Amino acid sequence: MARQKFKRALNSRLSPFQKIYLLLVAGFIVGPFVPLLIQSFAFRWAWPDLLPGTWWLEQREKSLLPLAWDYVISPYSRVWEATLNTVFIGAVVTVICLLICLPTARVLAREEFKGKASFEFFLSMPLIVPEAAIGIALLMIFIKIGLAGSYLGIILVHLIPTIPYMIRMLTAVYQGLGRDFEEQAMILGASRWQILRLVTLPMLLPGVVAGALFTFLVSTNIFLLTFFLGQGKIITLPTLLFSKISGGTLDASAAGITLVVTIPGIILLLITERFIKEEAFGKGFGN
Amino acid sequence: MKKLLISLSLSVSAIASSAVADEVTDFRDGFLKGEVTWSDVETRAKSEGEVNLYYWGGSDPINIWMDQVVTPALAELGVKFNPVRITGTKDAVDLVLAEKGAGKGLGEGSVDAIWLNGENFATLKRQDALFGAFADKMPNSQFIEWNPEDPRSLLNLRDFGVETNAAEVPWSGEQYVCAVNTSRVDKGNVPGTFAELKTYLEANPGKFTYVKPPHYLGNTFVQAAIYAHNPDGTGGEPFQNSIDELGVEELARLITPGLEYLKSLEPLLLGAQSGSARYPEDNTALDGLFLNGEIDFSCKFGLYAVAVGLSNGTYPEGAEAFVFPEGNMIKNKNYLAIPANAPNPAAALVLANYMTSVDSQVTKLKFTGMPAGVDPWKLSEDDVKALTEASPGLVGVTQAELDANTAPDTNATLVDVIEATWLEYIERDSSDQIETIVQRAADNLSK
Repeated sequence: MARQKFKRALNSRLSPFQKIYLLLVAGFIVGPFVPLLIQSFAFRWAWPDLLPGTWWLEQREKSLLPLAWDYVISPYSRVWEATLNTVFIGAVVTVICLLICLPTARVLAREEFKGKASFEFFLSMPLIVPEAAIGIALLMIFIKIGLAGSYLGIILVHLIPTIPYMIRMLTAVYQGLGRDFEEQAMILGASRWQILRLVTLPMLLPGVVAGALFTFLVSTNIFLLTFFLGQGKIITLPTLLFSKISGGTLDASAAGITLVVTIPGIILLLITERFIKEEAFGKGFGN
Repeated sequence: MKKLLISLSLSVSAIASSAVADEVTDFRDGFLKGEVTWSDVETRAKSEGEVNLYYWGGSDPINIWMDQVVTPALAELGVKFNPVRITGTKDAVDLVLAEKGAGKGLGEGSVDAIWLNGENFATLKRQDALFGAFADKMPNSQFIEWNPEDPRSLLNLRDFGVETNAAEVPWSGEQYVCAVNTSRVDKGNVPGTFAELKTYLEANPGKFTYVKPPHYLGNTFVQAAIYAHNPDGTGGEPFQNSIDELGVEELARLITPGLEYLKSLEPLLLGAQSGSARYPEDNTALDGLFLNGEIDFSCKFGLYAVAVGLSNGTYPEGAEAFVFPEGNMIKNKNYLAIPANAPNPAAALVLANYMTSVDSQVTKLKFTGMPAGVDPWKLSEDDVKALTEASPGLVGVTQAELDANTAPDTNATLVDVIEATWLEYIERDSSDQIETIVQRAADNLSK
């Protein structure tokens, strides 16, 4: 039913050019996953064969050690540990980032003060300075104060590249949100807490969710800073992947790990996509 | 105020750690003087509780072996084993030096042991960042030849020409072996010398390349070419000396024919027919070229590389090892070193001792195809038999052929200069005299 509706909508609204264009975009997004998927099931895949000459399942019984997906899902690949670390660090970074950025964005959007322009520029500095420079300098300091190789240390450095993004996004959201609603509520006798809880936050929600999603995705993709400050002791999906593929060629287990690495992001994207559309826009703005 | 707090907490932790440091340096000094018994070391290791080994984590079989075999073995000794996988050994060396620079001494760093050799060991030694001469003082040190009178001890006493002083213990021994894809090359055409290789490439241009220096696999190929073209005909012998002992002019004279050969080979290498020669970045890239039939020969360290590559699908069917270059197949060992600021020095010693045991050497060989680092003539007959049985086997060559064509590695101080010369003379295609380039490289490196 829904599918037919979608089909009809596609047929009636899109010109042939638009359809081809959409297919191309979809192809470019899905395309790279196809060889990865095949490689992850291969044992020996040599040029110029279109498909692997020998598949993993044919060799599975003969091999002393786990191959391909057997390796990926075994504890030896450390994929599970890395996934938990990545999600945990990403979630904590997102929450702290929100706590810092919400009040900041409010002030930046609504108040005028001397040096505001230069302050805003100053806030974007971490995006301009290369990560490697920040990483090496911080490593020396963190080693001295004992934060290197700890979760706290990694969470702190993940805040550096995420805060500027979050502030920019939330400032824009606050700017789009007039004071009128809050003033109305105040006139009707709402307390400050009630205003925040019942008026401001629901209206901000789409922006907050988008910002949180973005922060989480940035945090889960940071390689260099995690690698420097984690000292190899704390592994996340990007550091795990990098240690597997730094050789330049992709074997079956590396292809498998690469596919696993994309899963948290896809799940999160699906959840928030629904959330932003239905919940936030629906209830927040009352239409 | 904040500053004050930080400096206060720093000084408090400094005082607390200096007391710990005294106790742990006493242990080190006692052990190195031979005053601490091995059971004391084991007891102390149990109280330290854990050990962090930093090693190159790019190989699935090694990772599996570490988790499946080493972890339970050390747990039996009361030590929790933390294998830390890194992308390059240099990262661990940098970490040790950064922590040393931040004032972290013995008992306070984060690296207990590193798997390394060559340049990385030389760096730690130069920076005085090693624990000390432990390698000949463990129970399993008996499996290694330490007697300098015996010429076979060379690989245990010198690592790329740098004296090990027992600050690292041999873990695995390797030889630079080339493999041929016999489904593409007739047996009669397989080269045995550099001249034959060139003849083959003139008939089949583009079907060979070697890993790009400064990667050690590339450096080793360049060294083999230099040994084979040594104008005095003494092979690798003069290259055992350091740059100071040998002299820059003498080095330039010795390496000129080899480098000229490599330059003349460049137009025949992979990709040179359609632009510029392609040198792969590392062994996985090289394996990819070999598997895909882009090159017919692949040279890297790996006595059992062919058997292992066939068993995990990274080598093409029909791959075989062959003797090349005759008389100059470079052999070396890789080692485990304990840094000067190891957080758990006793546990690190227990780890090093375990890694040198026959049991671990046998399972390592079986799981990963990494040859033994202990010396077979120091083992019992049963142990040698166990090692032979665990070996994945040689394909295409015999052990006797390999032994007959062995050459020693190049001194680490020369490696740097030769590498810089290769980069300038061949990669950047400098038109300067080799002697000038060598002089300039030596000057830059001594700065």
